[in-house]
Amino acid sequence: MLQMILTGLLCGALLGFVMQRGRFCLTGGFRDMYIAKDNRMFYALLIAIAVQSIGVYSLIQLGMIEFSAGAFPWIATIVGSFIFGIGIVFAGGCATGTWYRAGEGLIGSWIALFGYMVMSAIMKSGPLTPLDQSLQSVQLPKNSIAESTGLSVWVFISIFAAIVLWILIKEQRKPKVVIPTMKPKRKGLAHLLFEKRWHPFFTALIVGLIAILAWPLSEATGRMYGLGITTPSANILQYLVTGDQKILNWGVFLVLGIFLGSFIAAKGSREFRFRMPDTKTGISSFIGGILMGFGASLAGGCSIGNGLVMTAMMTWQGWVSLLFIILGTWTASYFVFVRPIVKKKSLNSGTPITTA
Amino acid sequence: MQQTLEVMGQVCPFPLIEAKKVIEELKSGDELVIQFDCTQATESIPRWAAESGHTVTNFEQLSEAAWTITVKKK
Repeated sequence: MLQMILTGLLCGALLGFVMQRGRFCLTGGFRDMYIAKDNRMFYALLIAIAVQSIGVYSLIQLGMIEFSAGAFPWIATIVGSFIFGIGIVFAGGCATGTWYRAGEGLIGSWIALFGYMVMSAIMKSGPLTPLDQSLQSVQLPKNSIAESTGLSVWVFISIFAAIVLWILIKEQRKPKVVIPTMKPKRKGLAHLLFEKRWHPFFTALIVGLIAILAWPLSEATGRMYGLGITTPSANILQYLVTGDQKILNWGVFLVLGIFLGSFIAAKGSREFRFRMPDTKTGISSFIGGILMGFGASLAGGCSIGNGLVMTAMMTWQGWVSLLFIILGTWTASYFVFVRPIVKKKSLNSGTPITTA
Repeated sequence: MQQTLEVMGQVCPFPLIEAKKVIEELKSGDELVIQFDCTQATESIPRWAAESGHTVTNFEQLSEAAWTITVKKK
């Protein structure tokens, strides 16, 4: 129990710290692919996936950890991921993003987190369990891409790593724009940890390494999985209302650690402050949280569990989920960000001006 | 001329969306002062300014989780 608490909190705190300092926001990343034609954060995610994939499959090869991909509940993955993608736009952050923004003092993220936990618990052990299970029962037998093609998983890892390298080289060759920064007020380690702007690709590399570390730490406590956010978030609520200690697992301490690590990072860099949202943002955060909980439970993972981990494990579930999360994000972004601007513009230019 | 955009309390990406909207109405050489408290905007606003060719004449942290940035329109 003590080991679970310590290693879970430690791994989570590292992740929360790195994500807060690196502004590692997947929702913003997916959204900006569409509204700003900016793929940097998506590329950063691909780097984190590649690093983790190579690391985790090396550990599996060495017999240090175990992983079984199981079957592929394709309908639940597609529907759930799409709804999750819509939810994260309304919530203003994905599951992990919401946990770390809660650590920055954003009350809107606390509200989203509450909706997310409640809805996940309703899906996993509450009245919607039958719906969740019936959709998940529509399965394809093989989830592992390697197993269904009969090729070695290393073929796919190599191809993917090569694509990521190619993207990195291409990005490096682009003309550089100097991004204005604030005047540094600190020196040495304090500057590097609590002030300096982190390059998204550097942040992604560290996130990938933490994702590798999560596997052996988690499996040592009997939880045979890496990073995961949704089930542990639901577990917290289930534990709080039942008092059943068996519900507690490594993942619970991981997510609590993300909150803690982000708080430390934000506090240390003078970026922590309780911020109350206006009514509209508060309500949209709550609806977003509900959609996230519903979608992620159905899809068997959020943008971390599916988008970062199951993709690295080279499963159909991971890649199909990532695609539909992104499509969901774009759909919601169209209605929330793009349409209001287009509408306003056409109002301004389209209607003839009549002067009295 | 200098204009101030107060977007404290707004979450990303709204501070940037508002900034883009307001700067369209300014003349070249005018300055836009943006006051915001969304952490992610410390990355997205200066990046947008640099990539669209505007000049950042001031960028500093005011207090706990509060920033100001001045963008001079190109």
